[in-house]
Amino acid sequence: MEHNEYIPKPAKLISIKEEVGGARAIKTFRTQFIDEHSFSHQCGQCAMLSVFGKGEAMISISSSPLQKDYHQFSILKTGRVTSALHEMVEGDTIGIRGPYGNHFPIDEWKGKNLVFIGGGIGLAPIWSVLQTALGKKEDYGELTLFYGSRTSKDQVFREELKELKKKMTVHLSVDVEEPGWQEFVGFVPANIKDKAPNPENTITVTCGPPIMIKFAILALQEFGFKDEQLYTTVENKMKCGIGKCGRCNIGPHYVCKDGPVYSWAELKNLPQEY
Amino acid sequence: MEKILTKQTFPQWIEKLKSYTIYAPVKDEGHWSYEILEDAASISPEYPNAVESPKKIIFPQREILFDFGSQENTGVAVNENLPAEQPTVIFGVRPCDAKALTLTDKVFSGDFEDPYYWKRRNAAVLVGLACNTPPSPNCFCLSVNGSPFSKEGLDVLLTDLGDAYFVEVLTEKGEQLVGAAGNLFSDTPDKTKSEVKKLRTEAEKKITRQVKDADRIPAKLKEIFDEPFWEDEALGCIRCGICTYLCPTCHCFDINDEVASNSPLKGKRVRTWDNCQFPDFTMHSSGHNPRPDKASRLRQRISHKYNYFVELYNEYQCTGCGRCIDKCPVGIDIIEVLNKVNEYGA
Ligand SMILES: Cc1cc2nc3c(=O)[nH]c(=O)nc-3n(C[C@H](O)[C@H](O)[C@H](O)COP(=O)(O)OP(=O)(O)OC[C@H]3O[C@@H](n4cnc5c(N)ncnc54)[C@H](O)[C@@H]3O)c2cc1C
Ligand code: FES
Repeated sequence: MEHNEYIPKPAKLISIKEEVGGARAIKTFRTQFIDEHSFSHQCGQCAMLSVFGKGEAMISISSSPLQKDYHQFSILKTGRVTSALHEMVEGDTIGIRGPYGNHFPIDEWKGKNLVFIGGGIGLAPIWSVLQTALGKKEDYGELTLFYGSRTSKDQVFREELKELKKKMTVHLSVDVEEPGWQEFVGFVPANIKDKAPNPENTITVTCGPPIMIKFAILALQEFGFKDEQLYTTVENKMKCGIGKCGRCNIGPHYVCKDGPVYSWAELKNLPQEY
Repeated sequence: MEKILTKQTFPQWIEKLKSYTIYAPVKDEGHWSYEILEDAASISPEYPNAVESPKKIIFPQREILFDFGSQENTGVAVNENLPAEQPTVIFGVRPCDAKALTLTDKVFSGDFEDPYYWKRRNAAVLVGLACNTPPSPNCFCLSVNGSPFSKEGLDVLLTDLGDAYFVEVLTEKGEQLVGAAGNLFSDTPDKTKSEVKKLRTEAEKKITRQVKDADRIPAKLKEIFDEPFWEDEALGCIRCGICTYLCPTCHCFDINDEVASNSPLKGKRVRTWDNCQFPDFTMHSSGHNPRPDKASRLRQRISHKYNYFVELYNEYQCTGCGRCIDKCPVGIDIIEVLNKVNEYGA
């Protein structure tokens, strides 16, 4: 039988964890394929998740490729498919196809310092590359994370972040003052300016809302970071994931195939349609 | 191989093709459309062009990708719904529409071959009909490397000689089709060739609409990306999407689930044509829209066809059929837009 990329493979939800409650709820799902599969991903790639009867949504794979027992996805409840996912319980079946897209060139980054910059749910696409770099810590220089959320209640991976502080530098921030908050108050770009990262031999990875990405990159440029040192991910609406349905393009680039990972050197030359 | 088939014997050829599903242009309430031919006698390739190109036969407006339903062990069972490989002949394909399929071929191949498209595409034999007279006053195939007698993408090309067809057999698929009724076809008299050449020259002269210096357009489109030009051009657009629905090269689609029953779960995943002229096409769930207005969507339609596709495949994604001009309710005319692009700022 010939290959049919549109057919999702059934997978079980083996664990579901609530990260953030309320109107902008986020849950982290771990999945295992039910049948044999050849799904093998790289850092930064995404998968098309199906809730049968509701449709599909493109989601970053937040687990590291080094993690072989499951795949992990952290999902913001925002519409039809993601709300249905939030209703599901452990043991339920979803469909997965992929992995799709390009990936962070982490092999090229060996020997360099890595600065990760995430806002809100944007920590999800970073998590895979961050965990991979941590897993091979000897290959990289200093590792730093900037992570901002609206309030402390909006943080994803709260417990993991506490653990992370033992292993690398972590700069957290919340948008507005709140009782008991010891760390930075303000937007992520302001936190970057406050900590003044050194551009020498350093790569940065920024993921989050488009407005945060824009100002984070401006802040980094002020410190002398070059376009080639600035990486980010782009999220355009997707349906097929394989460069055919025609909606995710930025100029001649299909983000589902040629992205979602871009260096600023590439992205700045593309039309601003993201 | 070149042959002659008289119009009188034409229906006998069709009769011999019983193992094929046959599509031909049929006139219904004043509109021509490709339909499955029930009766050989009703075939009449003397028609302008169909409202919709034969793209819809290979890539239908709505198709079921798979069925799904509850199942005990795995939770959900998925049943792939690939089309049958039914040999199909499409008669009366105009050269612009045949060329258009060679362009959608590029999109549906590559790293991920689209099995739904290719099942139908591989099983289809395209019998073209040269345009002795341009079917539309807005035909402009000559501006985009096409011609009213182009053979590109066709398996057989027929040229109307009055009481007979000049038959050019172009591929193996075409040979099989003609071979099915070999005795009906006779050899070509010497004079036919020059007769066809004359018809071609006359046909080309009848095409009056023209995109000037089309090869300069890709670079020019890049240059004027941010210009207010697009707002002016898109002003009249009512977002009906007819330009892309009728375009023989447009391929954008949507994928959605249709549910027949929730418990037990039973439904279908369905692919339908979609349209870059609609606001939802690119709107994120957050409400953010990278192409938020008519101007950016018109720019996308034109830039995809005359810049991005050229960059990806070194061809225009437009074959000059003129449908988007013929049918636009507010008179947006791609030829005019392109000519203005070229002149912009000059
Ligand atoms: C590369 C990439 C990576 C991403 N990574 C993540 C991630 O890690 N975590 C995360 O949370 N998000 C991520 N996203 C965003 C995520 O894909 C979207 O939030 C998600 O697709 C929203 O789906 P939805 O069905 O819930 O939203 P909706 O806005 O409801 O719908 C999406 C689609 O369903 C259709 N639809 C919705 N409702 C209806 C209806 N009533 N009738 C008919 N059609 C309807 C819409 O037209 C649309 O086509 C990523 C996106 C991209 C592109
Ligand atoms: S999601 Fe369909 S082309 Fe990218």
